[in-house]
Amino acid sequence: MSASPFESVLSSLIRQRGVLGCLVVGEADGIVVDSNVQVGIQSNVVAALAAALYRKARLCSAAAGLSTVGFLQLEAERGHICAIGRDGLVLVTLAEPRAHIGRIRGAMLDSVSVLA
Amino acid sequence: MSDEIRRLSEELARDPSSLVFLQLGEALRRAGQLDLGLKVAHRGLERHAHNADAHDLLARIRVDRGELQEAFDEWDMVLRLAPSHVGARKGMGYVLFKQGKLAEAESHLSMAATHDRGDSSIATALRMVRRLLRYARTAGNGHGAPGHDELVAAQRRVEEEARQLFADILGEGEHTALLLNADGLVAAGLYVTAEGEDVSQEVGAALTGVRDEALRAVRHLDLGAWCAVVYETDLATVALAPALDESMVLVAASHTIPLGFVRRVLDRCVQRATSWLEEVA
Repeated sequence: MSASPFESVLSSLIRQRGVLGCLVVGEADGIVVDSNVQVGIQSNVVAALAAALYRKARLCSAAAGLSTVGFLQLEAERGHICAIGRDGLVLVTLAEPRAHIGRIRGAMLDSVSVLA
Repeated sequence: MSDEIRRLSEELARDPSSLVFLQLGEALRRAGQLDLGLKVAHRGLERHAHNADAHDLLARIRVDRGELQEAFDEWDMVLRLAPSHVGARKGMGYVLFKQGKLAEAESHLSMAATHDRGDSSIATALRMVRRLLRYARTAGNGHGAPGHDELVAAQRRVEEEARQLFADILGEGEHTALLLNADGLVAAGLYVTAEGEDVSQEVGAALTGVRDEALRAVRHLDLGAWCAVVYETDLATVALAPALDESMVLVAASHTIPLGFVRRVLDRCVQRATSWLEEVA
C-alpha cells in the first residue's frame, strides 16, 4: 500500500509545540481520512466535531454573505481546535492552550494545497 | 401534519384522559396551528381543570394569538395552583411589559429569575425591563409611574444606546460589531453592508449556529468554556466570543485587517457589552 498523500503534512504539524493531534477529515461526514494523534486522543470524536464546526461556519458564512471560509480557530479554556478546508476535506489540529497558534496557522495555510 | 403531531393525536385518541394533550397542544402551538392548539388545550382542561401546566399551555397559545389579557388571566390561575411556577411569572412579565407596565413586569420577572437562575431569557428580559424603567423614570424626573411619553422616550434612548454601543471602539474602521442574545437576536450594534443595508438580524441569526457547534465541540472534547471562534473568509474575518447571559459578541472585519487587531477589537467589544449588560443587573 502506498503512503498517504497527507502523511508528510501531518507529521510536520504534529511536531509543532503543544499539538496533540492533526487529522484530515471529510467535511460532510466527519470521518477520518488520515491522522497523526498522540496516545489518548479520540481521533474519531475530534474529527466529527471539528468537521461539524467547520461545515457550520461555512454554511453560516454563506448564508450571511461572507463568502468561503478559510482558516478557523476555536479557542477554549483547555485547548484549541484549528481547521482549514478545501474540496470537501478539512485539515484539523487539536492543540493545548500553550500552543503557538500563529505557527500552527502558518503551517496549516502552507499545507492546505495537499487537500486539493 | 408533522409526524410528531400525528403520533400525539393518535395517542390522545387512544386515551383521552391522558396528559399527552400538553405535548400535543405545545406541538400545535409551535407549528402555528393556534386554533387547533386552543381546542386541544380547552378539552384537556375539561378533564384536568386543576393542572397548572394545562393553564400555562392555554396562556401561551393565547399570547401567540395576541390575546394578552386572556393570557395574563390564565397565568394568574397558574399561580393560584402553583405559586412558584416560573413560566407563569415569565409570561406575566412579558404581558405587562407589552402593556407598558414596567414596574409590575420587573416584579414578576425578578421572581422568575429567583426561581430559575439558569434561564438566560429571563435574565435578558429583566435587564431590558430594568433599563427601560430606569430611563423612563429619568425622563419623567422621577415623578410617579412613567407615562406613555416617558416610555416612548426610554425606548428611543435604549435603541440609540444599543445602536451606538460599539461605535467608539470601531471608529471609522472597516469592521462592525453586534451583541446577540441567547436566541441570536440583535441586542446591540449594527451590521451594515457596503451598500448601506442593515443586515444585523440576518447575519446574527446565521452566525449563531457557529456558536452552538462550538459549544458542542468544547463539551464533548472536555475543553472547558469556549473563549472565541475566529475564522477567515475571502471577504472578512469573523470573530465570536461569549458574553453575559449566554449572549455573544460578533465582530466582522475586512480581510485586510490583521487577525490580531480583530481579536483585540473583539476583546474590547466583549468588555463593553458586559459592562452595558451589568449596568442593570
